Amino acid sequence: MPDDRWLGQLVGDVRKGWIPAAIYSDPGVFEAEEERVFGRAWVFLAHESEIPEPGDYVVRRIVRDSFIVARDEYGEVRVLANVCRHRGMQVCRAERGNASHFRCPYHGWTYRNTGDLVGVPFHEDAYGGDREFPKSEFGLLSAPRVASYNGLVFASLDPGAPPLEEYLGGFRFYLDFYTRQSPAGLEVHGPQRWRIRANWKIGAENFCGDTYHTPYTHQSIAEIGLFGEHKPHKRKEGVLYFADRGGGTTYKLPPGGFADRLRSVGYPDGMIERMAQTWSREQRALVGEAGFMVSAATLFPNLSFVHNWPRVREGGPPVPFVSIRLWQPVGPDETEVYSWFAVDRLAPEEFKQDSYRSYLLSFGTSGMFEQDDVENWTSITAVAAGRWARGLRLHSRMGLSREGRLLREPLADWPGPGQAFQGFGEYNQRALLELWCRYLEGAREAVEV
Amino acid sequence: MSGVVQGEELVRVGSGDPDYHAAVDFLHQEAELLDARRWRDWLALLAEDVTYEMPVRVTRARTLEDSTLADMDHFREDRFALQKRVERLETEYAWTEDPPSRTRHFVTNVQVFRAASGDLVVKSYLLLFRSRGDTRPPEWVCGERTDRLRRTPEGLRLVHRRLVVDESVLRTQNLAIFL
Ligand code: FES
Ligand SMILES: [Fe+2]
Repeated sequence: MPDDRWLGQLVGDVRKGWIPAAIYSDPGVFEAEEERVFGRAWVFLAHESEIPEPGDYVVRRIVRDSFIVARDEYGEVRVLANVCRHRGMQVCRAERGNASHFRCPYHGWTYRNTGDLVGVPFHEDAYGGDREFPKSEFGLLSAPRVASYNGLVFASLDPGAPPLEEYLGGFRFYLDFYTRQSPAGLEVHGPQRWRIRANWKIGAENFCGDTYHTPYTHQSIAEIGLFGEHKPHKRKEGVLYFADRGGGTTYKLPPGGFADRLRSVGYPDGMIERMAQTWSREQRALVGEAGFMVSAATLFPNLSFVHNWPRVREGGPPVPFVSIRLWQPVGPDETEVYSWFAVDRLAPEEFKQDSYRSYLLSFGTSGMFEQDDVENWTSITAVAAGRWARGLRLHSRMGLSREGRLLREPLADWPGPGQAFQGFGEYNQRALLELWCRYLEGAREAVEV
Repeated sequence: MSGVVQGEELVRVGSGDPDYHAAVDFLHQEAELLDARRWRDWLALLAEDVTYEMPVRVTRARTLEDSTLADMDHFREDRFALQKRVERLETEYAWTEDPPSRTRHFVTNVQVFRAASGDLVVKSYLLLFRSRGDTRPPEWVCGERTDRLRRTPEGLRLVHRRLVVDESVLRTQNLAIFL
């Protein structure tokens, strides 16, 4: 663990928007993050629709801690530490499947998918039976805290973490645009998984607020006409919002009411009606009155969302898709990306098919947006690790004057919670890293923006 | 066999058969075009109604059966999608392939089957070597392809490809390449 004085200096610079390059490569910083960020925050593990049937499970991690996310026989979702209570063997070595029990390969202890220990070979001979060794005391451990919101299952390793809803705070308002387009909620497919040689924070920062990269990094997408309009250059009209634990980007929509504007991004009328019924008045106002649609977003620390609407056939209309992604830290310079396709359960089948194509074309392992993003992030990670480069302070002060004043006022009439600015600026990246600073310092409270 | 029409009768074509050699020649020629980044020529080898898929592989208990996801792919392409990818690589802004990867598509273990329609169904192993820049270690992608080749007056054309990759977590930065 790096000494607190050095961490204090890093945090001080980060707060000014001068980002020490070392935070993207230093093993000591990574160790501190594993302990203080991932050991305290609420971390996304899975969506309930990945495990619809009793017995279904997926195996996920919080950095290096492995958990089985299982739906037990009673339909309840469990998050069980994937560590045998005997000598610590990894109980489940598949990544998904269906099982009523998990049997440890080492000495054969058997657990139900509720976590209960139900079988111990030679229980009487070896342990003196239930009298000396009550099986009920040696079930698989649950993650210290487990909760879900709109089917998104989170865990926290911190028994004292605030309740999930409180943690999410105002960001819930925005989360609903991605994860609750009808009362039925999402079905998610995937994930695609791949490893990139990039620090996990770079993607998280990019998704929460970097509208400035779109016109340049993604110019190839505009050139090939994947969008009806030259969309990247419209990014400066978008609003950037940040509320409690997360923030994101939006696009300005063409004029019209709620339904017209949703039609303009390609939603069919049935879905629009369900959105109108499901979203609050303020949520509807964000689209229908203010005229914005959410695009990329990040929830601290490492869960991002993307919503975009390219075309999937020559001259065809835009087709929106939603993707959920996790920046799973592997090391200071390596991240495993989990990327899911998500779609409202009640969407028409034809829409689901097209939306899936729209996702594959633009994001994920082969996505044409994603490819160029990741190239930037791996290159940053590589060069920022240099002995000398590590000491450089990178510039994350867009939207601030030299003295640190805001160049533009936050919007006064923004219908959502938190703070919102129109135009380019690194407000959200700073807000996300402010949370990072607070967690490194030991706080659990949300940032006041 | 994956990628084959259900219930279709396939007859194995031995390595002495001219069709076997035609299929192998096709795969070798295709590999060379991809490694030389001659994507337009590569597109010309694909049928108009081509479908190109690469499902996500997963680690499951006990069996290799069902070890691909039915509802998630790395690629599920039609001609429009492949065409757009090629157009993108041809722009000045496809950063991830500028400077370009140096690739080798190694194609081995070829087995050829003849369908009643005359199409050739070709199984092969693919090992892709990808070297990028001068500081990164090389990346590999390995898998099995099942292709369907149609006879046309211009020669064989790829109608369908299904690539089953061996890694459940890809160790390549992206798939800005074709497999
Ligand atoms: S380590 Fe699991 S039964 Fe011994
Ligand atoms: Fe991007």
